[in-house]
Amino acid sequence: MLEIKGLSKSFGGIVVADNVDLVMRQGRILGLIGPNGAGKTSLFNLVSGLYPANGGTVALDGSPLDGLALHERARRGLARTWQHVRLFPSLSVIDNIIIGARLYPAESLVTLMFGRSKIRSAAESARKRALDILARIGLPDAADKSIGDLPYGQQKLVGVARALMNDARCLLLDEPMAGVEGQAYETMQRVVRDVAASGVAVCVVEHNVAFIHDLCDEAVFMFQGRIMARGSVAELIANPELTELYFGH
Amino acid sequence: MDYIYSVIILVGLFVILASSFNLIIGYGGLISIAHPIFYGLGAYTSALLARDLGLPIPLSILAGVLMATVLSIAMALPALRISGDYLLIASIGFQLGMIELIKNLRFTGGASGVSGIPAFLVPTFGREAYVALVIVAAIGVVLLVRWIAHSDYGRAISAMRDDEQAFAALGRDAKWIKVSLFALGSGIAGFAGALYAHYFRFVTSEQFEILMSATILTMVVVGGLKTPWGPVVGAILLQSLPQAITFLNLPPVILGPLQGLLFTGLVLIFMFLRPGGLVQAGNTWRAHGSGRGGD
Repeated sequence: MLEIKGLSKSFGGIVVADNVDLVMRQGRILGLIGPNGAGKTSLFNLVSGLYPANGGTVALDGSPLDGLALHERARRGLARTWQHVRLFPSLSVIDNIIIGARLYPAESLVTLMFGRSKIRSAAESARKRALDILARIGLPDAADKSIGDLPYGQQKLVGVARALMNDARCLLLDEPMAGVEGQAYETMQRVVRDVAASGVAVCVVEHNVAFIHDLCDEAVFMFQGRIMARGSVAELIANPELTELYFGH
Repeated sequence: MDYIYSVIILVGLFVILASSFNLIIGYGGLISIAHPIFYGLGAYTSALLARDLGLPIPLSILAGVLMATVLSIAMALPALRISGDYLLIASIGFQLGMIELIKNLRFTGGASGVSGIPAFLVPTFGREAYVALVIVAAIGVVLLVRWIAHSDYGRAISAMRDDEQAFAALGRDAKWIKVSLFALGSGIAGFAGALYAHYFRFVTSEQFEILMSATILTMVVVGGLKTPWGPVVGAILLQSLPQAITFLNLPPVILGPLQGLLFTGLVLIFMFLRPGGLVQAGNTWRAHGSGRGGD
Protein backbone atom coordinates (compact mmCIF):
# COMPACT_ATOMS: atom_id res chain seq x y z
CA MET A 1 0.00 0.00 0.00
CA LEU A 2 1.24 3.46 -0.89
CA GLU A 3 0.21 6.17 1.53
CA ILE A 4 0.58 9.86 0.74
CA LYS A 5 -0.06 12.40 3.51
CA GLY A 6 -0.06 16.18 3.17
CA LEU A 7 2.20 16.17 0.11
CA SER A 8 2.94 19.68 -1.12
CA LYS A 9 5.04 21.18 -3.85
CA SER A 10 5.20 24.50 -5.62
CA PHE A 11 7.46 25.91 -8.30
CA GLY A 12 7.61 29.60 -7.50
CA GLY A 13 3.97 30.64 -7.41
CA ILE A 14 2.66 27.57 -9.20
CA VAL A 15 1.30 24.96 -6.83
CA VAL A 16 1.45 21.46 -8.30
CA ALA A 17 0.56 19.57 -5.11
CA ASP A 18 -1.48 21.16 -2.38
CA ASN A 19 -1.62 19.07 0.79
CA VAL A 20 -2.44 15.87 -1.09
CA ASP A 21 -3.68 12.86 0.88
CA LEU A 22 -4.05 9.66 -1.09
CA VAL A 23 -3.93 5.92 -0.51
CA MET A 24 -3.21 3.34 -3.22
CA ARG A 25 -4.22 -0.11 -2.02
CA GLN A 26 -2.70 -3.48 -2.82
CA GLY A 27 -4.50 -5.26 -5.67
CA ARG A 28 -6.56 -2.19 -6.61
CA ILE A 29 -6.39 0.08 -9.64
CA LEU A 30 -6.82 3.75 -8.86
CA GLY A 31 -7.49 6.22 -11.67
CA LEU A 32 -6.15 9.76 -11.44
CA ILE A 33 -8.07 12.16 -13.66
CA GLY A 34 -8.23 15.87 -14.12
CA PRO A 35 -7.59 18.55 -16.75
CA ASN A 36 -4.15 19.37 -18.12
CA GLY A 37 -2.06 21.12 -15.50
CA ALA A 38 -4.03 19.61 -12.60
CA GLY A 39 -0.84 18.17 -11.11
CA LYS A 40 -1.30 14.47 -11.94
CA THR A 41 2.11 13.86 -13.50
CA SER A 42 3.69 16.17 -10.92
CA LEU A 43 2.21 13.97 -8.21
CA PHE A 44 3.86 10.94 -9.82
CA ASN A 45 7.12 12.88 -10.04
CA LEU A 46 6.93 13.73 -6.35
CA VAL A 47 5.98 10.23 -5.24
CA SER A 48 8.67 8.59 -7.37
CA GLY A 49 11.32 10.99 -6.06
CA LEU A 50 12.02 12.90 -9.27
CA TYR A 51 11.26 16.14 -7.46
CA PRO A 52 11.76 16.73 -3.75
CA ALA A 53 8.53 17.65 -1.98
CA ASN A 54 8.14 20.86 0.04
CA GLY A 55 6.21 18.96 2.69
CA GLY A 56 4.29 15.81 3.47
CA THR A 57 5.18 12.15 3.56
CA VAL A 58 5.09 9.14 1.27
CA ALA A 59 5.24 5.60 2.65
CA LEU A 60 5.29 2.25 0.87
CA ASP A 61 3.90 -0.62 2.96
CA GLY A 62 4.59 1.45 6.06
CA SER A 63 8.21 2.35 5.20
CA PRO A 64 8.74 6.06 4.65
CA LEU A 65 10.26 7.03 1.30
CA ASP A 66 10.82 10.67 2.20
CA GLY A 67 14.27 11.99 1.34
CA LEU A 68 15.07 9.00 -0.84
CA ALA A 69 16.27 9.59 -4.40
CA LEU A 70 14.50 8.33 -7.50
CA HIS A 71 16.65 5.17 -7.76
CA GLU A 72 16.32 4.40 -4.05
CA ARG A 73 12.51 4.52 -4.22
CA ALA A 74 12.55 2.25 -7.26
CA ARG A 75 14.71 -0.21 -5.32
CA ARG A 76 12.13 -0.22 -2.55
CA GLY A 77 9.52 -1.40 -5.06
CA LEU A 78 8.03 1.72 -6.59
CA ALA A 79 7.88 1.47 -10.39
CA ARG A 80 6.66 4.05 -12.85
CA THR A 81 6.19 4.68 -16.54
CA TRP A 82 6.45 7.98 -18.36
CA GLN A 83 4.01 10.00 -20.39
CA HIS A 84 6.46 10.07 -23.33
CA VAL A 85 7.62 6.45 -23.02
CA ARG A 86 11.33 7.25 -22.45
CA LEU A 87 12.66 3.91 -23.59
CA PHE A 88 16.38 3.57 -24.29
CA PRO A 89 16.85 3.95 -28.06
CA SER A 90 20.29 2.36 -28.08
CA LEU A 91 18.94 -0.89 -26.60
CA SER A 92 16.89 -3.60 -28.27
CA VAL A 93 13.37 -4.36 -27.05
CA ILE A 94 14.48 -7.27 -24.85
CA ASP A 95 17.34 -5.26 -23.33
CA ASN A 96 14.96 -2.39 -22.57
CA ILE A 97 12.95 -4.87 -20.52
CA ILE A 98 15.84 -6.73 -18.90
CA ILE A 99 17.27 -3.49 -17.59
CA GLY A 100 14.06 -2.93 -15.65
CA ALA A 101 15.00 -5.61 -13.11
CA ARG A 102 15.60 -3.51 -10.04
CA LEU A 103 17.99 -5.74 -8.08
CA TYR A 104 19.97 -7.03 -11.04
CA PRO A 105 23.47 -7.75 -9.71
CA ALA A 106 25.41 -7.87 -12.96
CA GLU A 107 25.88 -4.17 -13.55
CA SER A 108 28.52 -3.50 -10.94
CA LEU A 109 32.05 -3.23 -12.25
CA VAL A 110 33.28 -5.27 -9.29
CA THR A 111 30.76 -8.07 -9.94
CA LEU A 112 31.65 -7.92 -13.61
CA MET A 113 35.32 -8.52 -12.79
CA PHE A 114 34.96 -11.07 -10.00
CA GLY A 115 31.47 -12.55 -10.01
CA ARG A 116 31.07 -14.24 -13.37
CA SER A 117 28.95 -17.17 -12.17
CA LYS A 118 26.60 -14.83 -10.30
CA ILE A 119 26.23 -12.75 -13.46
CA ARG A 120 25.54 -15.74 -15.67
CA SER A 121 22.66 -17.07 -13.60
CA ALA A 122 21.20 -13.57 -13.08
CA ALA A 123 21.42 -12.84 -16.81
CA GLU A 124 19.74 -16.11 -17.74
CA SER A 125 16.85 -15.68 -15.32
CA ALA A 126 16.38 -12.00 -16.28
CA ARG A 127 16.25 -12.86 -19.98
CA LYS A 128 13.77 -15.68 -19.36
CA ARG A 129 11.56 -13.35 -17.35
CA ALA A 130 11.78 -10.59 -19.92
CA LEU A 131 10.73 -13.03 -22.65
CA ASP A 132 7.77 -14.14 -20.50
CA ILE A 133 6.71 -10.51 -20.05
CA LEU A 134 7.11 -9.85 -23.78
CA ALA A 135 4.79 -12.78 -24.45
CA ARG A 136 2.30 -11.38 -21.91
CA ILE A 137 2.20 -8.05 -23.72
CA GLY A 138 1.70 -9.82 -27.03
CA LEU A 139 5.10 -9.07 -28.54
CA PRO A 140 6.90 -12.42 -28.38
CA ASP A 141 8.68 -11.85 -31.69
CA ALA A 142 9.86 -8.32 -30.98
CA ALA A 143 12.73 -9.24 -28.61
CA ASP A 144 15.62 -8.40 -30.91
CA LYS A 145 14.04 -5.46 -32.69
CA SER A 146 15.22 -1.90 -32.20
CA ILE A 147 12.87 0.27 -30.22
CA GLY A 148 12.52 2.66 -33.17
CA ASP A 149 11.15 -0.17 -35.31
CA LEU A 150 8.06 -0.56 -33.10
CA PRO A 151 4.87 1.49 -33.56
CA TYR A 152 4.19 3.96 -30.77
CA GLY A 153 1.47 1.85 -29.15
CA GLN A 154 3.82 -1.10 -28.87
CA GLN A 155 6.52 1.15 -27.44
CA LYS A 156 4.03 2.10 -24.71
CA LEU A 157 3.52 -1.58 -23.97
CA VAL A 158 7.29 -2.10 -23.76
CA GLY A 159 7.43 0.81 -21.31
CA VAL A 160 4.93 -0.99 -19.10
CA ALA A 161 6.82 -4.26 -19.57
CA ARG A 162 10.00 -2.57 -18.38
CA ALA A 163 8.21 -1.37 -15.25
CA LEU A 164 6.87 -4.89 -14.64
CA MET A 165 10.43 -6.24 -14.45
CA ASN A 166 10.80 -4.20 -11.27
CA ASP A 167 8.61 -6.65 -9.29
CA ALA A 168 7.14 -3.53 -7.78
CA ARG A 169 4.67 -3.31 -4.94
CA CYS A 170 3.29 -0.10 -6.41
CA LEU A 171 3.06 0.78 -10.10
CA LEU A 172 2.45 4.32 -11.38
CA LEU A 173 1.31 4.44 -15.01
CA ASP A 174 1.51 7.88 -16.61
CA GLU A 175 -0.90 8.11 -19.56
CA PRO A 176 -0.34 4.54 -20.76
CA MET A 177 -3.03 4.89 -23.43
CA ALA A 178 -1.84 8.11 -25.09
CA GLY A 179 -1.29 7.19 -28.73
CA VAL A 180 -2.34 3.56 -28.19
CA GLU A 181 -4.97 2.04 -30.47
CA GLY A 182 -6.40 -1.28 -31.60
CA GLN A 183 -4.97 -4.50 -30.24
CA ALA A 184 -2.53 -2.68 -27.94
CA TYR A 185 -5.53 -1.08 -26.16
CA GLU A 186 -6.97 -4.44 -25.07
CA THR A 187 -3.53 -5.81 -24.26
CA MET A 188 -2.79 -2.83 -22.03
CA GLN A 189 -6.04 -3.32 -20.11
CA ARG A 190 -5.40 -7.03 -19.64
CA VAL A 191 -1.81 -6.49 -18.52
CA VAL A 192 -2.73 -3.81 -15.98
CA ARG A 193 -5.54 -5.96 -14.57
CA ASP A 194 -3.18 -8.93 -14.24
CA VAL A 195 -0.63 -6.81 -12.44
CA ALA A 196 -3.21 -5.57 -9.95
CA ALA A 197 -4.55 -9.10 -9.48
CA SER A 198 -1.04 -10.20 -8.47
CA GLY A 199 -1.28 -7.86 -5.46
CA VAL A 200 0.33 -4.69 -6.78
CA ALA A 201 -1.13 -1.26 -6.00
CA VAL A 202 -1.67 0.43 -9.37
CA CYS A 203 -2.36 4.07 -10.08
CA VAL A 204 -3.15 5.28 -13.61
CA VAL A 205 -3.07 8.85 -14.89
CA GLU A 206 -5.13 8.92 -18.05
CA HIS A 207 -7.13 11.33 -20.19
CA ASN A 208 -8.94 8.45 -21.86
CA VAL A 209 -11.94 8.34 -19.53
CA ALA A 210 -13.34 5.22 -21.21
CA PHE A 211 -10.15 3.39 -20.38
CA ILE A 212 -10.25 4.56 -16.77
CA HIS A 213 -13.94 3.65 -16.57
CA ASP A 214 -13.33 0.13 -17.87
CA LEU A 215 -10.22 -0.50 -15.81
CA CYS A 216 -10.23 1.28 -12.48
CA ASP A 217 -11.86 0.21 -9.24
CA GLU A 218 -12.12 3.85 -8.25
CA ALA A 219 -10.70 7.22 -9.20
CA VAL A 220 -9.74 10.58 -7.80
CA PHE A 221 -10.22 13.93 -9.48
CA MET A 222 -7.34 16.43 -9.28
CA PHE A 223 -7.49 20.13 -9.97
CA GLN A 224 -4.82 22.77 -9.32
CA GLY A 225 -2.76 20.34 -7.25
CA ARG A 226 -5.64 19.32 -5.00
CA ILE A 227 -7.70 16.15 -4.71
CA MET A 228 -11.24 17.40 -5.33
CA ALA A 229 -13.18 14.14 -5.15
CA ARG A 230 -12.82 10.40 -4.84
CA GLY A 231 -15.27 7.71 -5.90
CA SER A 232 -16.23 5.40 -8.70
CA VAL A 233 -15.41 6.67 -12.18
CA ALA A 234 -19.14 6.76 -13.01
CA GLU A 235 -19.79 8.98 -9.98
CA LEU A 236 -17.01 11.39 -10.89
CA ILE A 237 -18.13 11.63 -14.51
CA ALA A 238 -21.69 12.30 -13.39
CA ASN A 239 -20.64 15.14 -11.10
CA PRO A 240 -21.46 18.40 -12.94
CA GLU A 241 -19.03 20.49 -10.84
CA LEU A 242 -16.13 18.24 -11.79
CA THR A 243 -17.21 18.23 -15.43
CA GLU A 244 -17.15 22.00 -15.34
CA LEU A 245 -13.66 22.01 -13.83
CA TYR A 246 -12.51 19.48 -16.41
CA PHE A 247 -13.90 21.19 -19.48
CA GLY A 248 -13.96 24.74 -18.17
CA HIS A 249 -17.66 25.35 -18.91
CA MET B 1 65.67 1.40 -35.18
CA ASP B 2 65.36 3.04 -31.76
CA TYR B 3 63.30 5.79 -33.34
CA ILE B 4 60.88 3.28 -34.84
CA TYR B 5 60.57 1.55 -31.47
CA SER B 6 59.79 4.90 -29.88
CA VAL B 7 57.10 5.61 -32.47
CA ILE B 8 55.54 2.16 -31.97
CA ILE B 9 55.55 2.67 -28.21
CA LEU B 10 53.97 6.11 -28.52
CA VAL B 11 51.32 4.74 -30.87
CA GLY B 12 50.61 1.93 -28.40
CA LEU B 13 50.34 4.39 -25.51
CA PHE B 14 47.98 6.59 -27.51
CA VAL B 15 45.87 3.54 -28.34
CA ILE B 16 45.57 2.97 -24.57
CA LEU B 17 44.82 6.64 -23.92
CA ALA B 18 42.26 6.94 -26.72
CA SER B 19 40.55 3.65 -25.76
CA SER B 20 40.29 4.66 -22.11
CA PHE B 21 39.05 8.12 -23.06
CA ASN B 22 36.47 6.49 -25.33
CA LEU B 23 35.20 4.61 -22.29
CA ILE B 24 34.59 7.94 -20.54
CA ILE B 25 33.41 10.21 -23.32
CA GLY B 26 32.10 7.74 -25.88
CA TYR B 27 30.41 5.03 -23.88
CA GLY B 28 29.74 7.06 -20.75
CA GLY B 29 28.92 10.38 -22.40
CA LEU B 30 30.99 12.11 -19.70
CA ILE B 31 32.81 15.24 -20.79
CA SER B 32 36.23 15.60 -19.23
CA ILE B 33 39.45 17.17 -20.40
CA ALA B 34 41.58 15.87 -17.53
CA HIS B 35 42.76 12.71 -19.26
CA PRO B 36 46.33 14.06 -19.79
CA ILE B 37 46.79 14.75 -16.09
CA PHE B 38 45.78 11.20 -15.13
CA TYR B 39 48.29 10.02 -17.73
CA GLY B 40 50.80 12.33 -16.04
CA LEU B 41 49.90 11.23 -12.51
CA GLY B 42 50.58 7.62 -13.48
CA ALA B 43 53.90 8.63 -15.00
CA TYR B 44 55.06 10.80 -12.08
CA THR B 45 53.90 8.40 -9.36
CA SER B 46 55.58 5.39 -10.90
CA ALA B 47 58.73 7.33 -11.77
CA LEU B 48 59.20 8.83 -8.30
CA LEU B 49 58.39 5.65 -6.38
CA ALA B 50 60.81 3.62 -8.47
CA ARG B 51 63.58 6.23 -8.51
CA ASP B 52 63.41 7.77 -5.03
CA LEU B 53 62.03 4.90 -2.93
CA GLY B 54 63.45 2.00 -4.89
CA LEU B 55 60.07 0.32 -5.25
CA PRO B 56 60.10 -2.56 -7.76
CA ILE B 57 58.90 -1.20 -11.10
CA PRO B 58 55.83 -3.46 -11.47
CA LEU B 59 54.67 -2.22 -8.06
CA SER B 60 55.44 1.39 -9.03
CA ILE B 61 53.34 0.97 -12.17
CA LEU B 62 50.52 -0.44 -10.06
CA ALA B 63 50.86 2.53 -7.69
CA GLY B 64 50.64 4.88 -10.69
CA VAL B 65 47.39 3.23 -11.73
CA LEU B 66 46.02 3.48 -8.19
CA MET B 67 47.02 7.13 -7.84
CA ALA B 68 45.22 8.05 -11.06
CA THR B 69 42.19 5.99 -10.05
CA VAL B 70 41.90 7.37 -6.53
CA LEU B 71 42.37 11.00 -7.58
CA SER B 72 39.86 10.59 -10.40
CA ILE B 73 37.29 9.37 -7.88
CA ALA B 74 38.10 12.29 -5.58
CA MET B 75 37.61 14.67 -8.49
CA ALA B 76 34.50 13.08 -10.01
CA LEU B 77 32.54 12.28 -6.87
CA PRO B 78 31.62 15.82 -5.82
CA ALA B 79 31.15 16.94 -9.44
CA LEU B 80 28.86 14.06 -10.39
CA ARG B 81 26.74 14.49 -7.28
CA ILE B 82 25.40 17.58 -8.98
CA SER B 83 25.39 16.87 -12.72
CA GLY B 84 27.56 15.68 -15.56
CA ASP B 85 28.21 19.27 -16.67
CA TYR B 86 30.11 19.92 -13.46
CA LEU B 87 32.53 17.14 -14.36
CA LEU B 88 33.77 19.25 -17.26
CA ILE B 89 34.28 22.26 -15.00
CA ALA B 90 35.94 20.15 -12.31
CA SER B 91 38.17 18.49 -14.90
CA ILE B 92 39.42 21.84 -16.20
CA GLY B 93 40.25 22.97 -12.67
CA PHE B 94 41.86 19.68 -11.77
CA GLN B 95 43.94 19.53 -14.96
CA LEU B 96 45.23 23.09 -14.63
CA GLY B 97 45.66 22.92 -10.85
CA MET B 98 47.58 19.64 -10.84
CA ILE B 99 49.91 20.83 -13.60
CA GLU B 100 50.73 23.93 -11.55
CA LEU B 101 51.24 21.80 -8.45
CA ILE B 102 53.63 19.48 -10.27
CA LYS B 103 55.52 22.48 -11.66
CA ASN B 104 55.96 23.98 -8.21
CA LEU B 105 56.73 21.03 -5.98
CA ARG B 106 60.32 20.17 -5.26
CA PHE B 107 59.93 16.40 -5.14
CA THR B 108 58.34 16.34 -8.60
CA GLY B 109 61.35 18.16 -10.00
CA GLY B 110 59.40 21.36 -10.60
CA ALA B 111 59.45 22.69 -14.15
CA SER B 112 62.58 20.66 -14.91
CA GLY B 113 60.70 17.41 -14.54
CA VAL B 114 61.94 14.01 -13.38
CA SER B 115 64.95 12.44 -15.04
CA GLY B 116 66.91 9.28 -14.37
CA ILE B 117 63.78 7.18 -14.09
CA PRO B 118 64.70 3.49 -13.78
CA ALA B 119 64.23 1.61 -17.03
CA PHE B 120 62.01 -1.45 -17.14
CA LEU B 121 62.74 -4.59 -19.20
CA VAL B 122 65.05 -2.77 -21.63
CA PRO B 123 68.37 -3.32 -19.75
CA THR B 124 67.71 -7.05 -19.44
CA PHE B 125 65.69 -7.98 -22.51
CA GLY B 126 66.26 -5.09 -24.94
CA ARG B 127 63.93 -2.52 -26.44
CA GLU B 128 62.00 -5.17 -28.36
CA ALA B 129 60.69 -6.53 -25.07
CA TYR B 130 59.29 -3.15 -24.10
CA VAL B 131 57.70 -2.76 -27.52
CA ALA B 132 56.08 -6.16 -27.02
CA LEU B 133 54.92 -5.15 -23.53
CA VAL B 134 53.26 -1.98 -24.81
CA ILE B 135 51.61 -3.80 -27.72
CA VAL B 136 50.26 -6.49 -25.38
CA ALA B 137 49.07 -3.79 -22.96
CA ALA B 138 47.34 -1.88 -25.77
CA ILE B 139 45.62 -5.01 -27.08
CA GLY B 140 44.64 -5.92 -23.52
CA VAL B 141 43.09 -2.50 -22.91
CA VAL B 142 41.17 -2.58 -26.19
CA LEU B 143 39.81 -6.05 -25.41
CA LEU B 144 38.93 -4.93 -21.88
CA VAL B 145 37.00 -1.94 -23.23
CA ARG B 146 35.22 -4.19 -25.74
CA TRP B 147 34.37 -6.71 -23.03
CA ILE B 148 33.01 -4.01 -20.72
CA ALA B 149 31.05 -2.31 -23.51
CA HIS B 150 29.22 -5.53 -24.40
CA SER B 151 28.68 -6.73 -20.84
CA ASP B 152 25.63 -6.08 -18.67
CA TYR B 153 27.55 -3.13 -17.24
CA GLY B 154 27.92 -1.83 -20.81
CA ARG B 155 24.18 -2.14 -21.31
CA ALA B 156 23.62 -0.10 -18.15
CA ILE B 157 26.06 2.54 -19.41
CA SER B 158 24.20 2.75 -22.75
CA ALA B 159 20.87 3.15 -20.99
CA MET B 160 22.25 5.78 -18.62
CA ARG B 161 23.66 7.73 -21.55
CA ASP B 162 20.29 7.57 -23.36
CA ASP B 163 18.16 8.83 -20.47
CA GLU B 164 19.59 9.24 -16.99
CA GLN B 165 16.27 9.88 -15.21
CA ALA B 166 14.50 6.93 -16.80
CA PHE B 167 17.55 4.84 -15.90
CA ALA B 168 17.44 5.99 -12.27
CA ALA B 169 13.71 5.26 -12.12
CA LEU B 170 14.62 1.60 -12.66
CA GLY B 171 16.56 1.55 -9.39
CA ARG B 172 19.97 2.33 -10.85
CA ASP B 173 22.38 4.76 -9.23
CA ALA B 174 23.70 6.63 -12.26
CA LYS B 175 26.21 8.55 -10.12
CA TRP B 176 28.15 5.42 -9.12
CA ILE B 177 28.14 4.05 -12.62
CA LYS B 178 29.59 7.34 -13.86
CA VAL B 179 32.19 7.50 -11.09
CA SER B 180 33.27 3.88 -11.63
CA LEU B 181 33.53 4.39 -15.38
CA PHE B 182 35.50 7.60 -14.94
CA ALA B 183 37.82 5.96 -12.43
CA LEU B 184 38.42 2.97 -14.69
CA GLY B 185 39.21 5.17 -17.70
CA SER B 186 41.49 7.41 -15.65
CA GLY B 187 43.25 4.46 -14.03
CA ILE B 188 44.01 3.06 -17.49
CA ALA B 189 45.41 6.47 -18.49
CA GLY B 190 47.63 6.29 -15.39
CA PHE B 191 48.82 2.86 -16.56
CA ALA B 192 49.81 4.36 -19.94
CA GLY B 193 51.69 7.14 -18.12
CA ALA B 194 53.65 4.67 -16.01
CA LEU B 195 54.60 2.71 -19.13
CA TYR B 196 55.74 5.96 -20.74
CA ALA B 197 57.91 6.91 -17.78
CA HIS B 198 59.88 3.67 -17.62
CA TYR B 199 60.73 3.68 -21.31
CA PHE B 200 61.50 7.34 -22.03
CA ARG B 201 62.92 7.79 -18.48
CA PHE B 202 62.16 11.50 -18.36
CA VAL B 203 58.89 13.24 -17.61
CA THR B 204 58.02 16.88 -17.39
CA SER B 205 54.73 18.63 -16.76
CA GLU B 206 54.69 20.06 -20.30
CA GLN B 207 54.04 16.59 -21.67
CA PHE B 208 50.68 16.42 -19.90
CA GLU B 209 49.27 19.86 -20.71
CA ILE B 210 45.59 20.50 -21.42
CA LEU B 211 46.11 20.59 -25.21
CA MET B 212 46.88 16.91 -25.15
CA SER B 213 43.23 16.20 -24.37
CA ALA B 214 42.36 17.72 -27.77
CA THR B 215 44.75 15.28 -29.44
CA ILE B 216 43.25 12.28 -27.62
CA LEU B 217 39.71 13.48 -28.28
CA THR B 218 40.50 13.90 -31.97
CA MET B 219 41.79 10.33 -32.13
CA VAL B 220 38.59 9.04 -30.54
CA VAL B 221 36.22 11.11 -32.69
CA VAL B 222 38.05 10.53 -35.98
CA GLY B 223 38.41 6.81 -35.21
CA GLY B 224 34.84 6.40 -34.04
CA LEU B 225 33.15 7.02 -30.70
CA LYS B 226 31.49 4.10 -28.90
CA THR B 227 33.43 1.49 -30.82
CA PRO B 228 36.31 -0.53 -29.35
CA TRP B 229 38.33 -0.36 -32.58
CA GLY B 230 37.68 3.26 -33.59
CA PRO B 231 40.16 4.83 -31.16
CA VAL B 232 42.75 2.23 -32.21
CA VAL B 233 42.45 3.31 -35.85
CA GLY B 234 42.40 6.99 -34.83
CA ALA B 235 45.48 6.68 -32.64
CA ILE B 236 47.47 4.69 -35.19
CA LEU B 237 46.70 7.05 -38.08
CA LEU B 238 47.01 10.35 -36.27
CA GLN B 239 50.09 9.40 -34.28
CA SER B 240 52.05 7.46 -36.88
CA LEU B 241 51.42 9.37 -40.13
CA PRO B 242 52.76 12.73 -38.87
CA GLN B 243 55.77 10.84 -37.45
CA ALA B 244 56.42 9.17 -40.80
CA ILE B 245 57.56 12.41 -42.43
CA THR B 246 60.53 12.64 -40.07
CA PHE B 247 62.22 10.26 -42.49
CA LEU B 248 62.28 13.11 -45.02
CA ASN B 249 65.09 14.64 -42.95
CA LEU B 250 63.59 18.11 -43.06
CA PRO B 251 64.98 20.85 -40.82
CA PRO B 252 63.16 21.02 -37.44
CA VAL B 253 61.80 24.49 -38.22
CA ILE B 254 59.84 22.99 -41.11
CA LEU B 255 59.19 19.53 -39.70
CA GLY B 256 57.29 20.66 -36.59
CA PRO B 257 54.71 22.85 -38.35
CA LEU B 258 54.42 20.30 -41.18
CA GLN B 259 53.53 17.56 -38.69
CA GLY B 260 50.88 19.84 -37.19
CA LEU B 261 49.49 20.61 -40.64
CA LEU B 262 49.45 16.92 -41.55
CA PHE B 263 47.59 16.08 -38.33
CA THR B 264 45.02 18.81 -38.98
CA GLY B 265 44.72 17.91 -42.65
CA LEU B 266 44.10 14.25 -41.84
CA VAL B 267 41.43 15.21 -39.31
CA LEU B 268 39.67 17.42 -41.86
CA ILE B 269 39.79 14.76 -44.56
CA PHE B 270 38.51 12.02 -42.27
CA MET B 271 35.78 14.22 -40.83
CA PHE B 272 34.65 15.14 -44.34
CA LEU B 273 34.70 11.60 -45.70
CA ARG B 274 33.53 9.75 -42.57
CA PRO B 275 31.77 12.19 -40.23
CA GLY B 276 30.60 9.33 -38.00
CA GLY B 277 34.17 8.11 -37.52
CA LEU B 278 36.32 5.70 -39.48
CA VAL B 279 34.82 2.79 -37.53
CA GLN B 280 31.12 3.41 -37.04
CA ALA B 281 29.14 2.18 -34.05
CA GLY B 282 26.00 0.10 -34.53
CA ASN B 283 22.71 1.75 -33.59
CA THR B 284 21.74 -0.88 -31.05
CA TRP B 285 23.74 -2.24 -28.14
CA ARG B 286 24.45 -5.95 -28.36
CA ALA B 287 25.67 -8.36 -25.72
CA HIS B 288 28.70 -10.60 -26.13
CA GLY B 289 28.02 -13.55 -28.37
CA SER B 290 24.79 -12.16 -29.80
CA GLY B 291 26.42 -12.54 -33.21
CA ARG B 292 24.90 -9.39 -34.62
CA GLY B 293 27.78 -7.00 -34.53
CA GLY B 294 27.07 -3.74 -32.89
CA ASP B 295 30.64 -2.81 -32.23
